[in-house]
This record gives sequence, C-alpha cells and structure tokens, in this order.
Amino acid sequence: MLWTMQNRPPLIEKRLEPNDSPLVIGGITVASIALAMFLGGLLLLPFKVNPVLAYLSMFQQSFGNLKGIGFTLVEATPLIFIALGTIIAWKTGFFYLGFEGTILIGASVAAWVALWTNPGGLTGPLPPVLFFPLVFLITFVIGGLWVAFVGFLKARFGGNEVIVSLMLNYVAVFLVNYLVSGPLRAPGDLPQTARIPDATILPFIIPGTRAHVGILVAIAAAIMVWLLLRKTILGYELIVSGLSPRSARYGGINVGNRQIMAAFLAGGVSALAGLVAVLGVQFRLMDGISQGTGFVGIVVALLGKLNPLGAIVAAILYAGLSVGADAMQRQMGIPSSVITIVQFMIVLFILAGDFLRYYRINLYTLARQRTKPQPDQSAPGETRSNDGN
Amino acid sequence: MAPFLEMRNIVKRFPGVVANDHVNLTIETGEVHALLGENGAGKSTLMQILYGLYKRDAGEILLQGQPIEIREPRDAIAAGIGMIHQDFMLIKPFTVAENIIVGLEDEAGPLLDLRAAAHRLTELSKRHGLDVDPSIRIENLSVGVQQRVEILKLLYRNARLLILDEPTAVLIPQEVESLFEVIRSLRDKGHSIVFITHKLQEVITVADRVTILRDGKAIATLKTAETNPTELARMMVGREVLFSVSKTARKPGRPFLKVENLHVTDNAGHPKVQGLNLEICEGEILGLAGVDGNGQSELAEALMNLRTASGGRVLLNGQDITRATTATRRFANMAYIPSDRRQVGSVGPLSIAYNSILGEVAKYSRAHFLLDEHRIRAHAEDLVKRYDIRVAGIRLEASKLSGGNLQKLVLARELSRKPDVLIVEQPTRGLDVGATEYIHAQLIHERDRGAAILLISAELEEILMLSDRIAVIYRGKIMNVMVAGSVDITELGLMMAGIRTDHPRNVVDNAE
Repeated sequence: MLWTMQNRPPLIEKRLEPNDSPLVIGGITVASIALAMFLGGLLLLPFKVNPVLAYLSMFQQSFGNLKGIGFTLVEATPLIFIALGTIIAWKTGFFYLGFEGTILIGASVAAWVALWTNPGGLTGPLPPVLFFPLVFLITFVIGGLWVAFVGFLKARFGGNEVIVSLMLNYVAVFLVNYLVSGPLRAPGDLPQTARIPDATILPFIIPGTRAHVGILVAIAAAIMVWLLLRKTILGYELIVSGLSPRSARYGGINVGNRQIMAAFLAGGVSALAGLVAVLGVQFRLMDGISQGTGFVGIVVALLGKLNPLGAIVAAILYAGLSVGADAMQRQMGIPSSVITIVQFMIVLFILAGDFLRYYRINLYTLARQRTKPQPDQSAPGETRSNDGN
Repeated sequence: MAPFLEMRNIVKRFPGVVANDHVNLTIETGEVHALLGENGAGKSTLMQILYGLYKRDAGEILLQGQPIEIREPRDAIAAGIGMIHQDFMLIKPFTVAENIIVGLEDEAGPLLDLRAAAHRLTELSKRHGLDVDPSIRIENLSVGVQQRVEILKLLYRNARLLILDEPTAVLIPQEVESLFEVIRSLRDKGHSIVFITHKLQEVITVADRVTILRDGKAIATLKTAETNPTELARMMVGREVLFSVSKTARKPGRPFLKVENLHVTDNAGHPKVQGLNLEICEGEILGLAGVDGNGQSELAEALMNLRTASGGRVLLNGQDITRATTATRRFANMAYIPSDRRQVGSVGPLSIAYNSILGEVAKYSRAHFLLDEHRIRAHAEDLVKRYDIRVAGIRLEASKLSGGNLQKLVLARELSRKPDVLIVEQPTRGLDVGATEYIHAQLIHERDRGAAILLISAELEEILMLSDRIAVIYRGKIMNVMVAGSVDITELGLMMAGIRTDHPRNVVDNAE
C-alpha cells in the first residue's frame, strides 16, 4: 500500500497550555446549557408540547413573577451554603462529600436550639436579636466540629475523607431518625419534632413570597468566603495546601492543621443549609429533610468553577430550573425528571467541555476527512464480491 | 556507499514552537555521532521522530539510501534502530534474560525458550565486552550495569543504530569510562551510535563527529578531531562562555550547622541516611558528592524537617533544632532550594507574586491576617529586577516560566532573605549555560556574604568548581570530607562507589 504523508494537522491536537480565557470558559458554559436544553427538548416531544414554549413557561414560573422568584431564592439558599462548604474544603485539598450529613446535623441543632425558646424550655423565649446570632453560632460550631473530626482523622491518621464522610452521612441519617422518634418527638402520628415557636422562624424579606432572610446570609457568607480565600493569610495558606501540599510544607505551612481548619469552616457553613431548612421552610425537624441537597450543592460549586460568587449564580440558575420543573409537572403534566435530566446534562457538558481548554479540534482537517474519498474504501467491497464468485 | 541513515529537512512544529527547523543529520556506518545542544534545542525531539515516537511535519528519512517510513517504535526496531532512554525500562524482579525477551514472545512461539535466549545473550555480551550475566536479577545490578542490559537488549533485537539519550547523567566517573569503552567497541564492530548530550568533554572524548543543535536548527556538523570545547560551547550557546567562576579564597568561619549521627528513612520505611555526621561552616560551600539515591534528598529534607529524622541531632549555631518545625527553621534563617522546583519549590497555578512570598507570608501582611497586596507586588517586582528573571509580568503563573527563570525565582526568594544556612539541591539541573553561570555566581556571592551552604549536586563538575570542601556520601553515610583543591577525581569516583581509599590528607574519620 502506498501511504503518502499528508501535511495536515491532526484532528485532535493537545494545546501547549490550557486556554483559560474568559471567552472560552463562558462560551463552553453557554454552549453546554444550550445543548442540554436542546436534548431535553427532544425528551419533551412525546408529550406533544412545544419545547420552546415549555421552557419559556418554565422560566416564567421561576423567574417571571415575584412568587416564583421567592421560591427560587428559597431553593437556592441551602445550595449556596453547601457550595461554599465544598469550595473551602476542596480548595484546601480536602475532598469532603458528606454534606447530606452536615445538613442533617445543622437541621437537628437548629431545631433543638429553637425548641429551647418554648416556655419552659432550656432558655425560655429569647428576643430575636439574641436568638438568631445564637442559633447561627451554635449550628456553625457543631457542624464545624462534625466535619473537623473527619479532617482530624485525615491529618493525623491519613484517613480517607471521601469514604469517612460518605459513611458519616448514614450516621447523621440515623441520628435524626433517633431524635425524631425518641427524645425530640412531638406527640402525634408522625416521627417529627414539634413546630418551632413563631418567633424563631426566619423573617421573610419579600412581602407575598416565601423568600426569607437566609438568602441574604448566604450571599454575605459567599462574599466572606471570597474575601477569606483572596485576601487573607489563612486563605493563601489554604489554597497553597490544596494546590500543592509539598510546596506548602516546604513553605512552612502545617498542611494537616490547615485542612482541619478548612474542614471546620466547611462544616460550619454547610450546616447552615440545615438551619435554613428548619427555620425557613419546614419549621420542624423530620426524616429526609436534606433531600439530596448535600450532593446537588457540590454540583453547584463545580458549575460555579469553585468560585464563591460564581456559586451564587449557579445556585440561583439551578434552583430556578428545579422550581420551574415542579411547576411544569403540576400545570402541564410533564414529569419534572425531564428537567432533572437537563440539569445534570448541563453539568456533564460543562465538565466535558474542559476538554476544549486542553485540546484543539481542527475543523479544517475534519472537513477534509469528510469530503475526500478514501482510496481504499472500495477495497473491502471488491473483496466481498470476489468471495461471492 | 550511501550513509547508514540520513534525516533530511526534518521539521517538527508544536503549537507555538518549531522544535526542529529543517534539520539535516547524516550518520555513517560505524561512527559515534554526538548530538550536542542545550535543553530545548531539539535533540530529543529529533531522535524521538527517528524512533517513531513523534510524527514529523515535513522532511524525509533514508536508510541506506532508501526512504523509509517510521510510524511507531516497532518500525524503528524493524529497521535496526534502537533507543535507550534516560529512565531505564527494566522490570526489577525479573532476570536480565527475562527482561530482554519481554515483548518478543509472539515471535518465539507459545513457549519461552529462556535457555536459548540466555545462551545467545552470553555470546553477545562476550562479543561486545559487556560482561553481563543473563541469569541475574535487575534489582541486584548497579545503574551502570543496568545500562549495559539496555544496550544488550537492543543488540539482541539486531539494532545497528543505537541512540543513547544523555547516558552519562546517572553514572559515576568509572562507569562513564567503561560505557565509553563499550561504545568504542560497538563502533569498531560496525554499529552506529547517536550520543545525545550537553557535556562538551564527552563529545570530544567519545564521538567521531558532532552535530550541534540550537533553537531547533542544526548549526554545524564537525569532526571532533578538528574542534575544541571552546568552539563547541560557542556554537551551542551562541556566544562566548566562561568555563570557570571567579572565586576568591576565603577563610571559613566557625561551624554553624552540625549534623550528628543522623538517621532518616524514605517513604517506604527503608533507611536512607544511616548515622551521618557533617559540619558546615559560615562562609563556605560544602559540596556533597554522590550518586543519586544515596540519601542526599532525604538528608536535605530532614535538615528542613520536611521529613522527620528517626534518630540523631541537628544543631544550628549550637542550638538543638532536631524537633523544630519547618516554619521555625525558616524563621531561624535557614533557606532551602529543592531539587524539584516545579512540585516543591513553587506552586504552579499561582502567580509569580504569590510564589515570591511562599514561606514568609506573615512578613507581607496587614493587621496580622490580611495579605498586603501592595507590598507583595513590590517584593515580586524587586526580585524580578534584582535577579534578572525574564518574565512578561508578575501576574504570570509560575507554571508558565521556563526552568531557568523558575529556578531564578526560587533562588531569588530564598536568597533575598539573606539566609544564614542555605541548602541547595541540584541547583542547575536542566538549565542552560547562561542560567547556570548566573546561579553559580549567586551561590559564590552568598558564600562571600558569610552563609553556610550545603551544595548537593549530581554534577561532579559543579561540585568541584564551587565547593570549598567536598563530602562524599554513599549509602547514607559520609565516606570522607576533603578540601576541594586536593581532590583526585579517580579517588572521588571510587568513594562515590563505596570504595574507601586510605588517603592521608584531610581524612575525617567517620568510622561506623
């Protein structure tokens, strides 16, 4: 066979260095969302609805009116807290995955503290200026200690934080199970605590909606995490520990100690997701209050490229899709799982799109491969006809 | 008669770089041909094209006058071309014979005939003076012999052209000499050898002809008999090169860093430093000579407490710091330039500015917890200017710096603190001549300022050129400490190989 060398670039070529321009990253994000929605649209066709109209009505539900915006913000709040926890932990090289557990711990602590303020409780009624700082502080500290324990196991004994944290999720699930069927159970048929006192409910911020003050706390927390990582010595040391533990040690940074600190902060901020679920939405502790938020929050952090401010945007987008999907199911009878598929396709495409930062696809080569007939393409056919003879 | 191999107008582009720019190379039958050039000159790329690891963008390859196409190493081997990489590809628990026939099973039928293979290997080994026993396990062989196994492997596959990529980098002087003898013997039996190197003396000693590459272009092909190191250096670097550093005699001060009976293990728990004693004085460079892997890295890491010593003491200016943390030691004005500048000495994804404060963030803070961006920038700008780091700006990520500039950054950061003790590991590994000269001058400058410097290097020339005293390390112990001027190379090589000589001068007793 004669094989002549053709001087064309290979179809897929590794870039000398990854392309980090905002244009490419933004382009990948937008293209990923568009592609996911297009494929999701195909899934809508069997329901005999116009996908474009379906999407429009979906966004109308979640962003088009005040009530919808309220729901979206309520959904986004715990996602932001979990995403912030993910960002702090992962940036320090501590790959914690047990946020379902920290939500449950946070929810339990918040419900417990709120029930103190019942007449005859541990503290009795407290004024809001005292109660809210107190409940945030206690929830943060206990959630922080919960995760710091895992950090300690990793730093001191080399324990694998991924496995330990996933296992601790079950501990948290059964702990809540125990609390609501035992010590904190309210009289009645359901395993749940009593409703928390009205004075302990997070204040609503937009009249006529369910949006509560938690979203403001979440945004403030995001700004603080951003400042921590960008502007402080501790943030510098956390990031160096995460990017290169060997360089960090070389620079005199106690990497284990910094990972425990990151674990504490991540646990504290993610426990607030449980707090807002109890004090802002359910008003009591019950089984299954975390609903997978602990994992979706990680996805949101990744969507936001592990940037605290990006996480706010990603959380609101994600929450909006979820709220719209629920409304679509109620009003048009389209299963909300279609939108769940779209949500996860977006994530998948954005993560896969990273490929384009590292590799270049030469469309010119692709076009030539398509149009140019391959000289030996006819050969197999001839062989086959020969066989027939 | 046509030459054995010809590469004509070879072009290889990587995005943004032309690694080989119309390179011509002719290799005759039975010659040793050196390929000389600095790092990044395109030597390895050219040979990897020949060996089928890269695809060329243009040009042609002729084997005995006939064009051939080499698309993968298998094609190269079939054409009689073999390559030995810097890292040997041998399976340690296997014997020499087993290693050599690995990958050839399909030609030999379903059953291994180890005996026949061993027989042929013994014969080959004898014919070429390789002196390798086919039944011995690789893990029991020294690096020099492992290299001969690699050569034997190529001969067993009937290679007529052998490409050796920087083969002397891992060898002690005696092993280098015996490698050269093997190379000459192969040449005399009609094999061709391509010898990739950046060491001028080796070119003159062993090669018949030399092709010099610079910035991807072949500058010239010369007969080694008709050239000299000065001319080669000028062609390789593109300007005149000074071969020595100016070093004034200086009386060393009192001992400043003392190591007493130090024991350190590696990550797997194997003892690597075994009862080591050493003293480094103010205002001296103590060179630590030794074959890589004899405990040098573990010693350096233990001195900074990046690795915990399992026994012994370290004294800094009379104070016991054996238990002090890395941060404390840095605070006590010890500095360290690690051998791995990318993974240890810097944080790749962070900017030059943030890398310039690694290890002393607290000095660049406000209110004890905020980073003082203004002073960080000023510090980084100052380092870039003072230490001649050639970069577009201090916001550039450290990972995007060339090896030379990154090393200058690490050096600048550590030296700008005016350290009392400086531990330097492989300071010029992989750097070009210009950066090497610069770093040597800086080290001498620090010594003259009064720093106690421990210089760990695999480059014997570097140790001989810079050191005031030279210690030889072998299997985690100091064999001997000598005053630099009185050192005999042969003797040094023997000690690096663990052979103690009874040298009357300056012997420091280090009995077990």
